[in-house]
Amino acid sequence: MSAALAQLTSHGTDRRTAADDWRARHHGAVIGYVGADVPVEYITAAGLLPLRLSGSPGTPSTAGDRYLGTGLDPVARSVLTRLLDHDFGPLDGIVVSRDCEASLRLFYALRELRRVDLASALPPVHLVDVLHLPHRTTTRYVRAKLRQLRATVETWAGRSIDDAALADAIAVHERLRDLLTRVAALRRLRPARLTGAQALSVVAATTALPADRATALLEELLTEADLLPEHEGHRVFVTGSPHDTAHVYTALEDAGLLVVGEDHDWGDLLSLRRTAAPTEDALAERYQYNGPTAPRASIRDRAEHTRRAAQDCGAEALVCYARVHDDAPRWDYPAQRAATGLPSVLLSRQPYGALDDEAVQALTGLRPHAAVAR
Amino acid sequence: MNARLASASAATAYQRQWFADLRKEAAQGGDLALVNADAPQEIFRTMGIPYVVNQWWSSIVTAKRRAQDYLGLLAERGYPDDSEQYSSIPLASAFDPDPADAPWGGLPRPTIVLAETTGDVSRKIFDIWDTQPGVSFYPLESAAENDVPTRWWELMPRDWEQAVGSDRLDLMTGELEGLIRFLEQTTGRVFSETRFAEVMDLVNEQQEWNRRTRDLIARARPCPLPVNDSIPSVMIPQWHRGTVWARDAARAFHDEVAERVSAGTAVCPGERARLMWIGRGLWFDLDFYRRFEESHGAVFVWSMYLAIAADGYLRYGGDPLRALAARFAAFSDQLYTPPWSAEWYVKEARHHGVDGVVHLVSEDARGSYFTTRALEAAGIPVLELHADNVDARSADGDALTRTVGDWLERRVHAGD
Repeated sequence: MSAALAQLTSHGTDRRTAADDWRARHHGAVIGYVGADVPVEYITAAGLLPLRLSGSPGTPSTAGDRYLGTGLDPVARSVLTRLLDHDFGPLDGIVVSRDCEASLRLFYALRELRRVDLASALPPVHLVDVLHLPHRTTTRYVRAKLRQLRATVETWAGRSIDDAALADAIAVHERLRDLLTRVAALRRLRPARLTGAQALSVVAATTALPADRATALLEELLTEADLLPEHEGHRVFVTGSPHDTAHVYTALEDAGLLVVGEDHDWGDLLSLRRTAAPTEDALAERYQYNGPTAPRASIRDRAEHTRRAAQDCGAEALVCYARVHDDAPRWDYPAQRAATGLPSVLLSRQPYGALDDEAVQALTGLRPHAAVAR
Repeated sequence: MNARLASASAATAYQRQWFADLRKEAAQGGDLALVNADAPQEIFRTMGIPYVVNQWWSSIVTAKRRAQDYLGLLAERGYPDDSEQYSSIPLASAFDPDPADAPWGGLPRPTIVLAETTGDVSRKIFDIWDTQPGVSFYPLESAAENDVPTRWWELMPRDWEQAVGSDRLDLMTGELEGLIRFLEQTTGRVFSETRFAEVMDLVNEQQEWNRRTRDLIARARPCPLPVNDSIPSVMIPQWHRGTVWARDAARAFHDEVAERVSAGTAVCPGERARLMWIGRGLWFDLDFYRRFEESHGAVFVWSMYLAIAADGYLRYGGDPLRALAARFAAFSDQLYTPPWSAEWYVKEARHHGVDGVVHLVSEDARGSYFTTRALEAAGIPVLELHADNVDARSADGDALTRTVGDWLERRVHAGD
């Protein structure tokens, strides 16, 4: 395996190592964040390390279940449990976005746990309420929320973020998005040079590593692209719930499929939307028009995006994976199925990080032949 | 004491006549809006656009035991039948193959649907409405605040700018201006500022009556009315707020309660325990609320419908459109988001002198842990019931009854 790919997939999985290293080498602060609607550019501009928080499928989420109830997306319950268990190492602050209802509830729980002193060791928490309706009134609101976040991050960092530093950070993250787009193309080649699980881990790594280190590793990976092993499989596009670990992709690919694209923001959607200029106003628009994600976009926008993206990926089938208590995907699915016109399957109420037996059985109908070469 | 409140009967009769008239008007091709419960209905009232509240229609369908049929119609089209049922049941009306057999003659097809983009699913349900012929969906943003003052009920009537926050109010006021322009263009009706001021005044007057009624019931010993009777007396006028009828209906409800209090009327003569019901109405079994009166001397004295009418709507001063924005920008936070929700329930429990709280926790358990914790920390026993309020499949009625009975004996009466 390429050395760069090995490092990226390692950091994509073991998400704490880079943060521990950052603290040890730079004595730098680490800011945990929830959701792709957090403008990480402010954290980078302040000289802090943004670490996107993920859950841990298969690990009991007892504390999260207690505070959030068992009817909420298990990812949020797992993230809360991990925060209370200090699984991410010391954090100097947490920024939560409104990327889905479960994240908002997670924020409210963290805020209340701190207020009533049930979890005094939690770091300060900030909600950045990025909204998405395509209206000018929403743009003005998002700008106000970004200014508020900027002030909070400045307080945490103990320094101000000037416009030049913000412009530099925007450029750094745009460069990352460019490189992620090029890396994503490797799994659309015929034969593919990355599996879906590998591609997902690479994206995840870029949300745990310092941006400059992530950039260097992605550049290295691209130079080694011709040396990467080839992969074949029945090419599927994954829609539905986001995947903060590669467990489900691995299970899909073990079943003979090859995930060539997806429309969630732990994958291709993370790098889709660009920032038109290195300014705060452009950044606000970038995050307002981020997506279209299942919990925030209209059925119509989702269906059109899925149709186009699946076509661009050369997908032969559509898999809608809807995690238990993540309800938006199931409302999107009928229109997505009609729009793509592809053979498709809805895997409903799936356990976190896994496929149930019924889902595995349903997938056999999609796979006429071929298996992933590993 | 089993005589139904005259105000509840009058409200129900009024609602039936109103709905029959609305159906006639819609049949002649008039505009009709379907709006979510937490949407700014005052705009429609001001412009004279008839509207039906989505969740009210859901409660009617459920009370008539048709919810499962309707959920089945969604499933037939590939949509979930177990997701946000309280909001999705009315959508199934659009797919009803036999609308003449529907409750109350059926929901006429709306021309405009309005909802805030709360949660992950609300807007999807309305997106599907938007694909129906002749229906337009106008989505409103739903914003959240990073930091809020805790005792919102003290601030909301006059200091709403401080309670809700200026960013949210700027956004929602802009949203309402956009909605008004949309309605002007699509319906040809006008938005009169003069009429709007009257509507806002009437709403405040109505909620002041509700506040007095709430306070009467809180102080009264024994409890003078069954909680399920108070629901139509409050909620039907609530859906008509901004009208003279609704204000007068709230006053009539107040006067009737005052009369009962003066006469020493008791809903449960052997009252031993005063209970609070937290959560939405258990629409598939409204008799549930009275099941513990004879057996345990336990009477439900509180549900959120009167209490939120008393504390959640009053908005005085400032620009009327901004005041309306302040009514809705954080409405559901008042009921479901800690610290607002948790602290308010404790305040209301103390105000009503309750001996225990039955807390309906649906799978979608918004802030429930913190509500229960705050009440227990205040020394008030809480029983959590895990069920959905409209979907009878989620609950075994007999088991719920046994659970409440056991809890009353074990935790509430144990302290007698």
